[in-house]
Amino acid sequence: MAQRYYQHTFTNGLTLLGEKMPGMQSAAMTLLIPAGAAVDPRDGSGTATVLSDLVLRGAGTRDSRQLTDYLDSLGLQRSSSVGVHHTRFSCAALADKVIESLATYADIVRRPLMPEAGFQAARDLAIQALEGIEDEPRQKVLLKLREYHFPWPYGRSTMGEIQDLEKLNLDLCCVHQARQYKPTGSILAIAGNIDFDCVREEVERHFGDWSGQGEQPGQVVAPPGRVHHEAHESEQTHIGLAWPSIEETHADYYAMRLAIEVLSGGMSGRLFTEVREKRGLVYNVWAGYTSLKGYGSILGYAGTSNERAQATLDTFIAEVHRLCEGITAEELARAKVGLKAATIMQGESTGARSGSIAHDWFIRGRIRTLEEVKREIDQVTLDQVNAYLKASNPGPFTIVTVGPKQLQTP
Amino acid sequence: MPLTFKHHQLSNGLDIIAEANPDSHSIAVGMFVNTGARDEEVNINGVSHFLEHMMFKGSEKYTWEDVNRIFDEMGARYNAFTSQEMTAYYANVLPEFTGKAVEHLAQLLRPAIRESDFNTERNVILEEIAMYLDDPGHRLYEVAMAEYFGSHPLAMSVLGSADSIKALRRDQMAEYFARRYGPGNMVVVASGQVDFDAFVGQVEKHCGHWPRVTAPRQFPQPQHRTRRKVLTDPRLNRLYVMGFTPGPSAQDDRRFAAQVLSDVIGDAEGSRFYWALVDNAICEDADFGFYPHDRCGSYYLSLVCDPDRGERAIGIALGELEKVKRDLGDDEVERAKNKIASAIVLQGEVPLGRMRAIGGQWIYNREYRSLEQDMQVLRSITPDSLRKLIRDFPFEPMTIVSLGPGDQKMGATGDTA
Repeated sequence: MAQRYYQHTFTNGLTLLGEKMPGMQSAAMTLLIPAGAAVDPRDGSGTATVLSDLVLRGAGTRDSRQLTDYLDSLGLQRSSSVGVHHTRFSCAALADKVIESLATYADIVRRPLMPEAGFQAARDLAIQALEGIEDEPRQKVLLKLREYHFPWPYGRSTMGEIQDLEKLNLDLCCVHQARQYKPTGSILAIAGNIDFDCVREEVERHFGDWSGQGEQPGQVVAPPGRVHHEAHESEQTHIGLAWPSIEETHADYYAMRLAIEVLSGGMSGRLFTEVREKRGLVYNVWAGYTSLKGYGSILGYAGTSNERAQATLDTFIAEVHRLCEGITAEELARAKVGLKAATIMQGESTGARSGSIAHDWFIRGRIRTLEEVKREIDQVTLDQVNAYLKASNPGPFTIVTVGPKQLQTP
Repeated sequence: MPLTFKHHQLSNGLDIIAEANPDSHSIAVGMFVNTGARDEEVNINGVSHFLEHMMFKGSEKYTWEDVNRIFDEMGARYNAFTSQEMTAYYANVLPEFTGKAVEHLAQLLRPAIRESDFNTERNVILEEIAMYLDDPGHRLYEVAMAEYFGSHPLAMSVLGSADSIKALRRDQMAEYFARRYGPGNMVVVASGQVDFDAFVGQVEKHCGHWPRVTAPRQFPQPQHRTRRKVLTDPRLNRLYVMGFTPGPSAQDDRRFAAQVLSDVIGDAEGSRFYWALVDNAICEDADFGFYPHDRCGSYYLSLVCDPDRGERAIGIALGELEKVKRDLGDDEVERAKNKIASAIVLQGEVPLGRMRAIGGQWIYNREYRSLEQDMQVLRSITPDSLRKLIRDFPFEPMTIVSLGPGDQKMGATGDTA
């Protein structure tokens, strides 16, 4: 069988990953730079977010407009974002256009022009986005949930805080860029219609003489508390709920994922069934695994009218506890089919695959093949899931609410 | 990527279409119905969307628990959506579940609409309405559509109001279903890894007995006029602006050029709105886009900014619409075309993306368009086609509605949202 997965680590520490996907015309690229919110300066939250905008405002020999026009002329569908661990740049288009764009992405991360006017605008936009969050309680509750669930700096808001953004200046951004935009710890993943040898040569040419290593996150500090309420005159009470789970590398990882699939997989998931279908308490309720290195957790959400909020929270938590009493063979069978189908369908999207292999490398230091994922799911037994659940004892819960009235928490 | 298209019509008038892609690992099956909020009377507003929810509550054969369980047993990625003029139900499954998916979607579309389920689900709909009330962008969209379309059916809210949902009765929904759901008014679509002959056999088996229903739609001419409306809600921090102006319809050949023009003017990056409004942080978001409705189309503009920058932002946006009439550049048209070409290729690689595209196209035009045809049309678009389009649809009249905390100088009388 033809080789599908490729990996090469350059001497400067940059890891290149490839997945050759038959039948595709497109390719997608994901570039992870070790400049996530967790390494923002202590009083400089939001620096990575401003920087991720600023580096696109001119790089190499192109000013802001020339750079954007050039990337547009390649037809690239692109995005940039900041997570806890990384700043991510990604794009997708016809494969040769994505390969062609690599030289320019090297300019963006290595030789950004960092214009003063661009900085002012990027910071202004970051502040506006934060103000916008105040109008969207559904988004706000999830930001606050992370802040109250994960220890500092892993719970820091990727959007930053207003007081930090107001103090930010161009020099601080330049220092941060020079410190964190480094090859060691960076991951460049390309999936689709690719010839890996050509990709590797192209990456070598444009990233090969890059050097250095970004700083690691500082000492962790426990979150400010586990229960938090933000008063908001909203139509609904927005509930965020989180509790600790295991790492992706844990032996019970797939058992845990299948258990969470039973809790909140399809529409037959227990949360959807009990909270929405039987009781009609909500439109939106879910829980899912979040893979934060070192702090694997389950994060959940429910939005409901204020008078039904207490019943919703109580039902949600009761379902989490009931899950620990065990699942049935039928539930496990459904969860397996669901997770396996999702895996196979992910194999139809170059964008999903480039993101997935980059994530695998960061978390596990290797690529999981689609076959491996399917096999691991198949091997999980009902006894294993139920033994895991019985011992899991979920909690402590982090409970964050945004709405008119605080709820009673267990 | 050798895609092949097939079409078959059952004796009851049900159209079956499929685009086969042997490279796909899955199949997406959809049932698209030519009905939506625009086909509702005011007293049953929201029924199309509420009915879409009730489809998942079971048939004579299945309970709601069966419906959800059977989908999940296939590992399906399934859902439904309702718009002003279309309702669609779909499932993306592995090829071995094709027959089961067809059978299940067919069961889905023969709902029992049980009174007790109806009453429980009414609460879910009310929660959905409340959820969108906490989303200023969506709130504004509903008001702006209503302002722009006035007495035209496209003014109807998809969700309905809390009042219309509370007043809706089960028998009104059942009557709407009987009148609007049937072979003459829908299409069954497959894309991806599909064996067409087997697929037709499966659809025939499960839908072949459905009674023929033809559901006509009214097409009054919309009466648009230039107007501004200001809504205030002191709880808000930001100002949200939405404008509508006429554009080509879903049947109009100029719709392809309209897509290119929309990207030139208001794509998220590299567009005229981007450089005039977002690059300099006057607006956090500034979009210009295109809604090709059934026999009546519109462009929209959407801005989000600081409340005290609203007037300036609207002025700049309208100024850009004037400028593009005078100085459209070859390069910017070419760039927009390249971006759309990429989007076409990427969409073509994912069965769910193609299912939505070909299902929607069939509902509007009873026509299949291959990726190659779309590419050819895209390639044939020139700056001159865009100039002609702008002469035909010169961005007027324009209805603009804003929603913000108040105290803005907006030059129009205000209402409280």
